Amino acid sequence: MIHASRAAALAAVLLTPVLTAAPVQPASYTYQGTIHVVEPHLSSVEIITGVGFALRLVQLHAVAATRIDSAGVTLRLRDLQPGDIVRADCRLTRSGLVADRIVKLGEAAR
Amino acid sequence: MTRAAVTVLLALVVAGCEKPLKPGDPVRGLTVAQRDRFARGKVVFDSTFTPHTGLGPLFNSTGCGECHEDPAAGGSGDEVEVHATALRGGVCDPLVQEGGPVIQQHTIPALKQALGIDSEPFPPSATARGMRTTPVLFGRGLLDLVPDSVILSYADPDDKNHDGIRGRPNRSVDGRLGRFGRKAFVATLAEFNAGAFLVEMGITDPTQPTEENIGGKPIPPGVDSVPDPEINQEQLDLTGDFVRFLAPPTPAKLDKAGRRGRELFSEIGCAACHVPTLRTGDSPVPALRHREFAAYTDLLLHDMGPDLADICLSLATPSQFRTEPLIDLRDAKRFLHDGRATTPEQAVELHGGEGGGARDRFKALPPADRAALIAFLKSL
Repeated sequence: MIHASRAAALAAVLLTPVLTAAPVQPASYTYQGTIHVVEPHLSSVEIITGVGFALRLVQLHAVAATRIDSAGVTLRLRDLQPGDIVRADCRLTRSGLVADRIVKLGEAAR
Repeated sequence: MTRAAVTVLLALVVAGCEKPLKPGDPVRGLTVAQRDRFARGKVVFDSTFTPHTGLGPLFNSTGCGECHEDPAAGGSGDEVEVHATALRGGVCDPLVQEGGPVIQQHTIPALKQALGIDSEPFPPSATARGMRTTPVLFGRGLLDLVPDSVILSYADPDDKNHDGIRGRPNRSVDGRLGRFGRKAFVATLAEFNAGAFLVEMGITDPTQPTEENIGGKPIPPGVDSVPDPEINQEQLDLTGDFVRFLAPPTPAKLDKAGRRGRELFSEIGCAACHVPTLRTGDSPVPALRHREFAAYTDLLLHDMGPDLADICLSLATPSQFRTEPLIDLRDAKRFLHDGRATTPEQAVELHGGEGGGARDRFKALPPADRAALIAFLKSL
């Protein structure tokens, strides 16, 4: 037990600089769902996701670097409509979820 | 006689002597381990939750078996629940921001004490209310395995064959083909089950570790003291196995009138939507793999006319409903999505829209033929 404790303590001492020096990666998430609201002036999109009838709203923010496209064609945020099916690759920041890429997969039915 | 011929003969005799499957029985051919999971899953299915074991804060029932109880676990029940959505500009809003689309009808005491409510508030933005009876779960594991390509092969959204029957697929929120729920909104049985734990009982699980909101507002502090998730993955998986292994009960043997009714079912056009047999695709479970079964559905949406219309859901308009599988119809006490019909005759007569032609041909049949068709339906 004493040997194990020493080994753990030694490992902790040796690894501490490595761990603290490593850049903190923001948690990344992918959501696929139906667009509920698009607010281009706020650069914000709400997506309906969920399991079965248990649905959730996820709010994302688009930034200048966010890629938005459909079948290889570049889109603007205002091209997205409520009811469209999208997949959004996001990362969690202090100001909320920021989308790196939004891919439109299906059209809203009207 | 060769050994092979004897084997074939014996297999035929055994198949002919098989006992009919009753409501609540598992499908034939499960392994010992699978039958064990079916039995253990039934225990979770039949269990009753309390606020101390995770129930609520909002709920419709205290356990799966409270609603799915008649004539056996996995069957129907007399509960009717409330759904609400809004249709605006041709787009359906499930009103998640106001607690939709399922509006729970009960609260645990702590929530009632905190907010003074007995049920979830009805969404103020709703444009429609839908009442929903409890669906039977028998045979749903087989419906889950019908390949998308088979379902889509029955679709005819533009009525290219000019028979008045269209058939459109619905889709889940993430765009997959929907097949479960009265509007074919849910893509898989596993998701239907996991969603039901949360929406019907307020039980969180590892796939959905956070509670539903209360009419779109957060749960008041101190109301939900049970740590999430409230059931573990094994309990969820066992319940899933119990449901997917539930067999469709064997239809009753048909007498002469019943056989005539079966012919009429096709002749007057019922079978255009209530497709009599479907076949499952591949599955890791041999007992469910490539199985033909009496489904009586195409799992597609059909316009049923304005009198039955209620809520929209994803691509389903208010008047579009998924063809109800006619499995264990003989034990049903209420018919149609909201239970408004109390007999099969009433249910047929309430068909409108794409079902109007078959309804009119049914009404035009001589009394003996109408009785024969009903006898057939009651054999299912």
